[in-house]
Amino acid sequence: MEFKDYYQTLGVARDATADEIRKAFRKQARKYHPDVSKEADAEARMKEINEANAVLSDPEKRAAYDQLGRNYQPGQEFRPPPDWDAGFEFSGRGFSPHEAANFSDFFAEMFGRGGGMGGAGGFRPQGGHSRAQGEDHHAKVLLDLEDAFTGATRQISLRVPRLDAQGRVTVDTRTLNVKIPQGVSAGQVLRLAGQGSPGMGGAPAGDLLLEVHFKPHPRMRADGRDIHLTLPVTPWEAALGAVVTVDLPTSQIKVRIPENAQSGSQLRARGKGIPGKPTGDLLLDIQVVLPPADTPRARELYETMAKELAFNPRGKD
Amino acid sequence: MRDEDILIGSLMEETWLTLEQVAAACTVEPAWLLRHLDEGLFPHAESVAGVWRFSGPALLRARRMRELERDFDAVPELAALVADLLEEMDELREQLQRG
Repeated sequence: MEFKDYYQTLGVARDATADEIRKAFRKQARKYHPDVSKEADAEARMKEINEANAVLSDPEKRAAYDQLGRNYQPGQEFRPPPDWDAGFEFSGRGFSPHEAANFSDFFAEMFGRGGGMGGAGGFRPQGGHSRAQGEDHHAKVLLDLEDAFTGATRQISLRVPRLDAQGRVTVDTRTLNVKIPQGVSAGQVLRLAGQGSPGMGGAPAGDLLLEVHFKPHPRMRADGRDIHLTLPVTPWEAALGAVVTVDLPTSQIKVRIPENAQSGSQLRARGKGIPGKPTGDLLLDIQVVLPPADTPRARELYETMAKELAFNPRGKD
Repeated sequence: MRDEDILIGSLMEETWLTLEQVAAACTVEPAWLLRHLDEGLFPHAESVAGVWRFSGPALLRARRMRELERDFDAVPELAALVADLLEEMDELREQLQRG
């Protein structure tokens, strides 16, 4: 495991005051805030900054880190001596065990002593009672839009802190196979009872709450249970009316295009959206696509139209 | 994969969550949430017969506000204002993607 230089991460000197550390953290947190940052690796950097701040903003952790880190260079192979942290009490600062699970292995190795608090790295206990229900976990699951029509089984990996027999915290990766039922919509939450953190003192485990999101789809987008689909049509189908076949994830439907349909016209097929109570609608956005004038015959046909149809889409010039 | 390995969850209809569920999932104290509700800083919630219930986006809202308060020592009103702006930005980005 490589030694991590938290001072370098935050860009402060080793003798920086608490105030300087706070300022440096805020500056970096603003720069790499994942909601607004333009940096490509913003999320990963934010994780590092949070980890560095969790250590350096906490006087006990900082003292322990300084004592141990005196002889190390960033990137150097790191192995803490046994019982190096005897005599330190870690109290944590607003990070949950679940968040701490996202910190590096280096962090887990250094501050992984639970101290009887039942949480990762001496972090704030949830409730602090001897009998307490396990924490609920929350994760996002990214689905294909087709999955909402058919249902799906997804493998979900979670990083979970766990206290071992020696009182050290290790981070486990738990893989769950989860059945996503037909009819889910974006933002909906799937609850897996008892799949959160284990309870303490015989109390029940927490739940795992999975928030459903859809990957962008090249042709479709969901709005609740309604589905919007762009329907390309030929100029003659749009002008003369036609019955066209539309491919949906689980079926094919026939749709009547009314005469004189234009690009931007919308057709609604009731009950053909994502199944559920109620089933959503399918909204077809008509897009007239012109054949290219790339052969003499095609050019001739366009020229005939130009001559014989008195048509100016911009009105009178 | 054996069938018995597959976990079957329950879909939370209309995505309503209880105060305790939001608090536990976002690692905030229920009292923190109640204080923000009382101050009108939490729009994704409604009180039905005296019981608070939360919609799906409340999870993200709670996490954002807690992080803003913790990371920047932001007062709750400022954290709520930033959360409002971020939500509006999310909506506009979604519209752009549809475009």
